[in-house]
Amino acid sequence: MSAILLVAIPLLVAFLSILVKKYAPYLLIIVGLFNLVMLFLLQDGGVIIGGFDQPLGINLLLNLYSRIALILINALIVVIACLNIKDYGKYGSILLLAMAGLNGLVLTVDLFNFFVFLEISGIAAYLITSSNKKPTNTFHYLALGAVGSSLFLFGVIILYAMYGTLNYGAMIEAIAANNNYAEVVLPFTLMFIGLGVEAKLLPFNSWVKGALGHSNTMSGPMIASVYAAALSFVLGRMIDNLFLFQGTLLTIVTVLLTVGILLGDFMAFSSTKTREILLFSSVAQASIVALLFVNGVVAWAVWLIIANALSKTVMFLVINKATKEVGCDETKSLQGLFTKNILVGLAFTLATLSVMGLPLLVGFMIKLNFLTALAGAGQIWLIVAILIASLVEGIYFVRLLVKLWYKGENEISVKYNLSFKVVFVVIALALLAFGSYTAPMNQIDNSVDAVTEVVNNG
Amino acid sequence: MIQYAAIILFVFGLYGLFTNRNVIKMIVSLNVMEVGLNIFIISIGFTYDGIAPILSSTTANGLLYVDPLPQALVLTAIVIGVGTTALGLAIAKSIHKTYNTFDLDEMGDKE
Repeated sequence: MSAILLVAIPLLVAFLSILVKKYAPYLLIIVGLFNLVMLFLLQDGGVIIGGFDQPLGINLLLNLYSRIALILINALIVVIACLNIKDYGKYGSILLLAMAGLNGLVLTVDLFNFFVFLEISGIAAYLITSSNKKPTNTFHYLALGAVGSSLFLFGVIILYAMYGTLNYGAMIEAIAANNNYAEVVLPFTLMFIGLGVEAKLLPFNSWVKGALGHSNTMSGPMIASVYAAALSFVLGRMIDNLFLFQGTLLTIVTVLLTVGILLGDFMAFSSTKTREILLFSSVAQASIVALLFVNGVVAWAVWLIIANALSKTVMFLVINKATKEVGCDETKSLQGLFTKNILVGLAFTLATLSVMGLPLLVGFMIKLNFLTALAGAGQIWLIVAILIASLVEGIYFVRLLVKLWYKGENEISVKYNLSFKVVFVVIALALLAFGSYTAPMNQIDNSVDAVTEVVNNG
Repeated sequence: MIQYAAIILFVFGLYGLFTNRNVIKMIVSLNVMEVGLNIFIISIGFTYDGIAPILSSTTANGLLYVDPLPQALVLTAIVIGVGTTALGLAIAKSIHKTYNTFDLDEMGDKE
């Protein structure tokens, strides 16, 4: 049994499922469950493909970091597939392709192979957003995604020309031996911009409003939760192991991300559309995650990615289902949504309060710990910026919750299936439980993804 | 020298992509950009007087080969580029079917 099966099986089944389209969603669920079982059985370690050891061959790496990422990605894809089996069953093959691409992105430690998986998952993402029936937005996403991955490839090739390898471990060692950060600023900048497009970082994320602003119960959670989580994990690995920003580049990146946090929350504040509020909040959260990685707060960045992915899954599912039935996502039109859906309302409220970072919920523990870690690192201005953003976030989320809980002039009725309610309740309980029981969170530290060490020791 | 040409081609493609409002022209710009990038990648492996990197029983040791890895990378990049272009054209067809135009500005009026 090898970690390569986590990529090979979804990819193989994706092509086979085209022959039996009717069964594609069921195949997707079976493959997703198989991957989850595999992830509990596989041992940590590297996989050498084709017998070519690094730096020549392609290596995959399964460590605690990639295992956490893969469990989250595969579990969420299975849940989203189960909930949308009736309405979006024909997208089963595409979700299999997305699963293969995202698993590969997280596993690979070869930079060109990374580009290939970035394109595979990118093409699957464009097709997923095509379910929104807004082809211009999908095209906008495709064009920006293609530019982003081209810039990433440009950076990778410059690094290859400089160091003669594409392997993370070998390249990290070569850069350290060379000890001249100035010469890697250009390739790192190109790669960061390329990944920033996909990871929804401002100012490279103009596709997000079109892709998520018209999303549905499949595309919303897939892009806002699954893709966002996967890209945050891989961006984090790059920042933590390869980029290790220094000097002017560190200042520029820190300023960009801080502005991203503030602008994301201010744009959410100024929006009256529910989906836009959620998507701009996601943009701000993506910048916070990247900022934590830049400052070496890896462990809490990992937990923040997980908490955000779970919360945003609930929030996008609730709102997109309601929008589909009401026909509009203006907060005014959805007023009183929870008066007849108290259970759904409670789950949505818990998820929202967790994103805001209120006590008793997991979001609070994470926010408290990463702010403490930033204070320990002497980043007082970052803490001030995050607290201002949190205040703005608190205002627009409380305003949204009040609208959704209190009855308006028109009574609206949205019916959520039992399967939706089960998912909402399970996620909400998990957010509540891990707010008090924090022992598992302390089990990982900031060296959770030390790629060089693992690759060199086989 | 060839690398400067490749970068200029890449920038032309990028310029075309951001200044054109016609979907088909944008896809063509995307392709120009990818061609520039592919030429840049190939140029990385180029060696003056280097021979093709094919190992056989008659080739002697110590000969100068061009680097085969960028060639392999470009083959993959071309395939991915074709896939993206095909998807872009499929979306363009869908756009035309919905708005009866390829021009993004005209679509804005109809939305």
